[in-house]
Amino acid sequence: MITRNIKFNQPVKPLPPKPSRYGPDPEYIKTRGCDLENIVSVNVRELFPDIPENIYPSEKGIKAVRDATVAALEKVDMSMIKPGDSVNVLGSHHGFTILGGEPYAEMLKTIKDVIMEKTGTENIRLRVGVGLRFRESDEYIKRFGLDEYFNKRAIGVAPIDEGIPIETEIGTLYGIKRCYDADWIVHAHNSDVREIHFHRHVDRAVKPFGMSYARIETRSTYHQNLGPRGANFVARAIFNSEFVQKKWTFATFLKPTPAGIASVDADNDLFALDERLSIDNFRYYGKILTLLSHIDECIAVLDFQAPIPYVFSAGMIFANFSAASIDVFDLDYPLPGYTWYTEAFYGEGDRPLIPDIPPVNPAIKAMVINYAWGGYPSVFWAKMIPTIVVGEWQAEVFRRDPQNVEFMKHAVVADDLPTAIEFAMKIADTDKIIIFDGAPGAINVSESLAEELVEKAPDVDREVEQKLLPKWCRQRGIKLEGYAGAEAH
Amino acid sequence: MRVVNMYAEVDPEKCTGCRVCEKVCPTISIKVVGEKKEKLAVVDLNTCVGCGACVERCQFEAVVLKTLDESRIISVNPHSVDEEKVSELCIKARLHPEQIICYCTGTRAEEVAAAILMGASSPEEISRMTGVRTGCKVECIQPILRLLKAAGIEPKPIEGGWQWYGITPTIWDIPEDVIKKYSARGFYFEEDRALFKKLLDTVKAGGE
Ligand code: SF4
Ligand code: SF4
Repeated sequence: MITRNIKFNQPVKPLPPKPSRYGPDPEYIKTRGCDLENIVSVNVRELFPDIPENIYPSEKGIKAVRDATVAALEKVDMSMIKPGDSVNVLGSHHGFTILGGEPYAEMLKTIKDVIMEKTGTENIRLRVGVGLRFRESDEYIKRFGLDEYFNKRAIGVAPIDEGIPIETEIGTLYGIKRCYDADWIVHAHNSDVREIHFHRHVDRAVKPFGMSYARIETRSTYHQNLGPRGANFVARAIFNSEFVQKKWTFATFLKPTPAGIASVDADNDLFALDERLSIDNFRYYGKILTLLSHIDECIAVLDFQAPIPYVFSAGMIFANFSAASIDVFDLDYPLPGYTWYTEAFYGEGDRPLIPDIPPVNPAIKAMVINYAWGGYPSVFWAKMIPTIVVGEWQAEVFRRDPQNVEFMKHAVVADDLPTAIEFAMKIADTDKIIIFDGAPGAINVSESLAEELVEKAPDVDREVEQKLLPKWCRQRGIKLEGYAGAEAH
Repeated sequence: MRVVNMYAEVDPEKCTGCRVCEKVCPTISIKVVGEKKEKLAVVDLNTCVGCGACVERCQFEAVVLKTLDESRIISVNPHSVDEEKVSELCIKARLHPEQIICYCTGTRAEEVAAAILMGASSPEEISRMTGVRTGCKVECIQPILRLLKAAGIEPKPIEGGWQWYGITPTIWDIPEDVIKKYSARGFYFEEDRALFKKLLDTVKAGGE
């Protein structure tokens, strides 16, 4: 039964493939998931009408992001920065994966301009951290002309670069030296929920201090030493350290929703900013992920310029969808269906070592990889989900990737996407398809799945508003009462 | 266990001898030789595992990964040493022997423990023997250092290198006041400790 009068739209075209050392040559990516028969799109705002309006994409173009950044920075105190002082604007590669990267690049450029104007200093550098693809940020810096914009002072930094010890309330952790080689630091990030399976949305805004700006010792502490719900504490410990606080100025965040960019927020108080973005994320991303977790069965088609876990659909990354056999926002569950602690707890023969391990989202009956990068350890998914890789060019990406040497041992290769889908339908015994192609503002799905999403959305909306959102806030000590809403910031 | 199917190759025309590759190689397989203008990075193909760290950090694009004609496997069989000792070492490091500690290679704690029992005394030696820490090069340094510490070994970082700096705290080291202070902010340390304990309790042999 369709409970709302939604006419399914034509599929939304994703952005064209981008050349990268981590992915296949874009030349090979001829057919996209959205070109398949019976694929339609569902606008996320039609599913959840309370998602705030976009500032981008909108008719104002990229200028809207500049204007929103300038407006957000008006309320920020920069008086600690004196003319001639050095300032490191700290960024992360994640921001560039949102809507093609232009909004994040524009925010970074605007931050530089406003700091110059307000403080008189010209010694402003850009340091952009990475995940596990150490040159990814260099690619973005080049693509968006950030090196020129920052007067040849923009660099990508990696967790194996020279480190610096940081004394924290739990002991010594380590940062990347070049992130901190200035008098002051500015934290320039985005509020996209991204890796909830890792940070569990506890101190989301603080995470880069334990990740993009951190050395391997710290990142290993996060993923191996502290546990599935306490992991992100390394970020708080580093952020609260005397070393970081002496250099701290303010944070500026691009605030996306599953539909686009809603606003830019800035604050000298990072924890206040975190509370605001947490409530917004629980409300908007929380609804989308809860809805996706209610899908009964599907074939997931991966079709985006990112490694397997980071391909997007309606702003949610595939890793979260694969983890969604439980409610990943709910801290009563120790382990999501996917996180590294979960992966660690599968013993020989992939036997769960303890009964508490939830499976990878059992709704994903098959995974078709039409277009994805290497550069993230992904063998786990190929072992847990029947996997079909489209084209030798894509298989070669995995074979040549030190993080995925054995990936193709657990996957088969199809010559083209339609053949891969035909095979996937046979093994999955379903015609429901969801495409992770980063299509802006919409989910590209098969008509059968579109109907299911539309039917289930109103109940999910109620469930999140009435039950889950208050619970998620309560678990993190976040006050929901009196919050003015996303547009107020 | 690590399948080695690639190796690093240096382009002498592009190499400036800056030594960054030396500082990041997890198996100490690339070294700059020669003086002044003659400086050149040279790869030891016997120990290079094709991890790509040098490739990714060389700012002069002087190193590339090439496919080996024949791939090889590096591994330590945990069942080839005293299994009880392997188990004891893992438990002392508060790791389940079968727990995966390297997500790229699928290496389990028991393999690293076995390498240590066979004489490995540094992360570099362990990487050469097992291939651990040669995929992403990021996430698995701490369990390696924990297992070495449990064996009574405190390795020294390589002088001037950036391979690793030191061991860091675990959930068991977090002061009680810190746990109390943040438990209402969503950091469920007590509950996660219980989860780890449950995992370790499933190991029959060994124990602290
Ligand atoms: S990092 Fe590159 S340029 Fe520097 S020594 Fe190594 S190969 Fe040569
Ligand atoms: S960094 Fe990796 S690829 Fe380069 S020489 Fe060392 S082991 Fe080989």
